[in-house]
Amino acid sequence: MFNFFKKKEDAKIIIASPVKGKAVSLSEVNDPTFSECMLGKGVAVIPEDGNIYAPADGEISLLFDTLHAVSLTTAKGVEILVHVGLDTVALKGQGFTSHVATGDKVKKGDLLLTADLEAIKAAGYETVTPVVICNTDDYADVEAISLSDVNPGDDVISITTK
Amino acid sequence: MKEFTYQVKDQLGIHARPAGMLINEAKKYKSVLTIDTGAKKAELTRLMAVMALGVKCGQTVTVTAEGEDEDKAIKEIEKFFETNL
Repeated sequence: MFNFFKKKEDAKIIIASPVKGKAVSLSEVNDPTFSECMLGKGVAVIPEDGNIYAPADGEISLLFDTLHAVSLTTAKGVEILVHVGLDTVALKGQGFTSHVATGDKVKKGDLLLTADLEAIKAAGYETVTPVVICNTDDYADVEAISLSDVNPGDDVISITTK
Repeated sequence: MKEFTYQVKDQLGIHARPAGMLINEAKKYKSVLTIDTGAKKAELTRLMAVMALGVKCGQTVTVTAEGEDEDKAIKEIEKFFETNL
């Protein structure tokens, strides 16, 4: 209700790419879970290397046992899921190394996971890495702001608060 | 309030995809839906909270529904668990 009084720049939250690669629209991801935004809106990055960094300052709310995905909650309450590859839950951790644990506080750019992209591809899985905002419904809008080559730390998602 | 208990049969437990499907199903109802593992509890409409429960194959969960459409909600959510988990 008091949003009217806020400065405009306060209404945007920017999330960075967790990995070096090419950012693409979620609609191009070959998995309806992501392309239909069932886990929230965001962007996907086709990774060029397997180093996955924190896309924002926050707390690791969940490191999956299978190490293929990690989620982070920022101080402002944005819930970000970084899911490395498609269906990679089935690898049960093979090819993934974690550098953080659930509950850890991290800074944007801290190394979270290392994925062996060649091993994932060799096992028959796509390595495209969706970055989605799990609580998209809490915001007025979540949009991809860069669909090009990105480095870790480059702005890729813009969130408009209600 | 209505509830059911269910033992998860999916080998991979409630990981990202089923959690996403589950919250999208839960959002169809006006009732407040919760999932309880005995150790932790989450609102069924909060994706991160549901994933953070880390429900594994073989684990038993209790789902409750409270609200005007609780009968329909609990029936449909139970069906969802039986079909997908």
